[in-house]
Amino acid sequence: MSDIAIGILSFPALLGLIFLRVPIGLAMFLAGLVGMILVTGDVGLPFARLKSETFTTYSSYSLSIIPMFLLMGHFATLGGMSQALFKAAAGFIGHRKGGVAMAAIGACAGFGAICGSSLATAATMSRVALPEMRKYGYEGGISTATLAAGGTLGILIPPSVVLVIYAILTEQNIAKLFLAAFIPGILAALGYVAVISIYVRIYPNSAGTRGRVPWAERLVDLLQVWPVLVVFALVVGGIYLGWFTPTEGAAVGAFGTGLIALINGGLTRKTLAESFLVTARSTAMIFFIVLGAAFYNGFLALTQVPQEIAAWIGGQGYSPWLVLVCILVFYLLLGCVMDSLSMILLTIPIFWPVIQGLDFGFVTMADLHAHRAADAFAAGVQLAPDMLASVQQSLADGVELTRDQIKAMEIRSVNKGALYRINEELVAIWFGILVLIVVEVGLITPPVGMNLFIINAMDRNTPMSETYKAVMFFVASDLFRVVLLVLFPAITLILIPW
Amino acid sequence: MYPAFMKLSRFMAYLGGIMLSGLILLTCLSVLGRSLNGMLHSDFIEGIAPGFAQWAINLGIGPINGDFELIEAGIAFAIFAFMPLCTLSGGHASVDIFTQGMSDRVNRILRLITSLLFAAVFVLIATQLFGGLQTKFRSGQTTFLLEFPLWWAYALSMFAAAVAAVVAVYIAVMRVLETLSGHELLPSETGADH
Repeated sequence: MSDIAIGILSFPALLGLIFLRVPIGLAMFLAGLVGMILVTGDVGLPFARLKSETFTTYSSYSLSIIPMFLLMGHFATLGGMSQALFKAAAGFIGHRKGGVAMAAIGACAGFGAICGSSLATAATMSRVALPEMRKYGYEGGISTATLAAGGTLGILIPPSVVLVIYAILTEQNIAKLFLAAFIPGILAALGYVAVISIYVRIYPNSAGTRGRVPWAERLVDLLQVWPVLVVFALVVGGIYLGWFTPTEGAAVGAFGTGLIALINGGLTRKTLAESFLVTARSTAMIFFIVLGAAFYNGFLALTQVPQEIAAWIGGQGYSPWLVLVCILVFYLLLGCVMDSLSMILLTIPIFWPVIQGLDFGFVTMADLHAHRAADAFAAGVQLAPDMLASVQQSLADGVELTRDQIKAMEIRSVNKGALYRINEELVAIWFGILVLIVVEVGLITPPVGMNLFIINAMDRNTPMSETYKAVMFFVASDLFRVVLLVLFPAITLILIPW
Repeated sequence: MYPAFMKLSRFMAYLGGIMLSGLILLTCLSVLGRSLNGMLHSDFIEGIAPGFAQWAINLGIGPINGDFELIEAGIAFAIFAFMPLCTLSGGHASVDIFTQGMSDRVNRILRLITSLLFAAVFVLIATQLFGGLQTKFRSGQTTFLLEFPLWWAYALSMFAAAVAAVVAVYIAVMRVLETLSGHELLPSETGADH
């Protein structure tokens, strides 16, 4: 059997193991181990790799962000930030039709800005918002569905654990990915608010009313959320402005939220010990999958399968957009049965080379020239009048600059290499955000959306079927947003400097 | 036996948590030192108090030397230390939708096989890590900035990985005994609770 055949056959074998409830990390580890033994014909290579690979996988400076962000999320909960956010949001919009649910979405978005995990956001906001929604006469289905969908904002709005993993797998800049996630995250929150507004009009009995809160009280409540703003601005802003590395940002954020929790009295020896235990469980779960994926991908690289698949798809002449849509649909289907991090770790090493080999035409040579010319003009380049006129004519026509024009403008490094680099980076960021959204949809799609389970466990009175019914509205909004972001990449990329 | 192993796993998780907190503090101090240092070197401070920045550096105000290396060594230990608790409490992510419809008997057998595989893999990881430790010990390789021997970091992780292996073997043994005796000996898996 050829190496390629072994590589290809490992897919059904791996999926078979996973569907037989073998934990995903373990299944990937075993598939990688057995695959390497089959390809090399003995245990020497995989065993030699294991001598250092477990250690080097775990002693990773960039991956150390993940436990830090997880701990930060727990500290934020202990610091009472979920209550503060919900109270402030409810003060402003709670009296509208469906307003308490909208406030829950707003609070989830705010909490997502300091928490990188969907499940943590869903769990902590449910504790705060579910009782309030019941108190004001909201039906079970819309309440649980709102919080399940709101929970996904934890990961859509930066910081985000999934984006960290994606950035490492595709070797992209974490700060730029966080920045790119910002507008789609806000759109997600607005979309969910719109869904609630439509839902309570279709089912008027699903939501009760809440009295107005006086303005003075609203402002007092609003002041209580300042720690969230400070932490978010410090962490995401600091990473983006280059004050510190993403790992340092996560450490500063964890320290800041811990300090706030300590001052608010939420952080005691007992709660600190609990946060260690919860962080330990989630971290170990993620990192065991990371190890399995590293091992499995090491095996795949040995068989050349990812490159072969990418070359084959590239050679078929399919439209890049068709390939992209197929991949996104695949994620939506897989997301019905698998969690988001496992999906990313399992599939990105195969899909990213495929996407990398396709040309979505984001940046043309003319765009690149125009961009560099704008920089040159901003820097105060002086041109002879006739040259200036000809450059302006070329830019107005949107065509590539000629050699003479480039020389006169003193634009450096305009070559095919720069074009490819920018193109590839933009595609990587855009694709990453799209994947982030479609894998997150998996968290709220029946039958095994994790967020649905977590919230259902907290609200035993609401049957799962009611949650399913209401959550489909939110899924529809997610799908609509994916279509929007596929059709208009600029929404995602507009904040990215290049 | 189970309570003792639970205690051990929790103890390891606390150790990992303390290590993680330590690394967070270390990183924050390093960031603080670096920004203070940058501030002291600004034209303004240099103008009113020349030499102050150098004096502060001599006092140790500045980025922590080799913080990067300490994080790499420490985080590996923390992650290995987190493993036993996750494994013992059945926290590893899995897909159970397709097995829900199968009989209890099939599910028990699958659980037994999984626990055996986990034990084998964790023992393999620990023994190979021990091999790696020996290699680093013999080569005497040190880190770049702090120049501490790399085998120290390996030894820390090795210790935690060994505990993870012991816990995984315990689970496998209990699952085998469960199958032989037909009684539940371990609490049923609680699943990942975040």
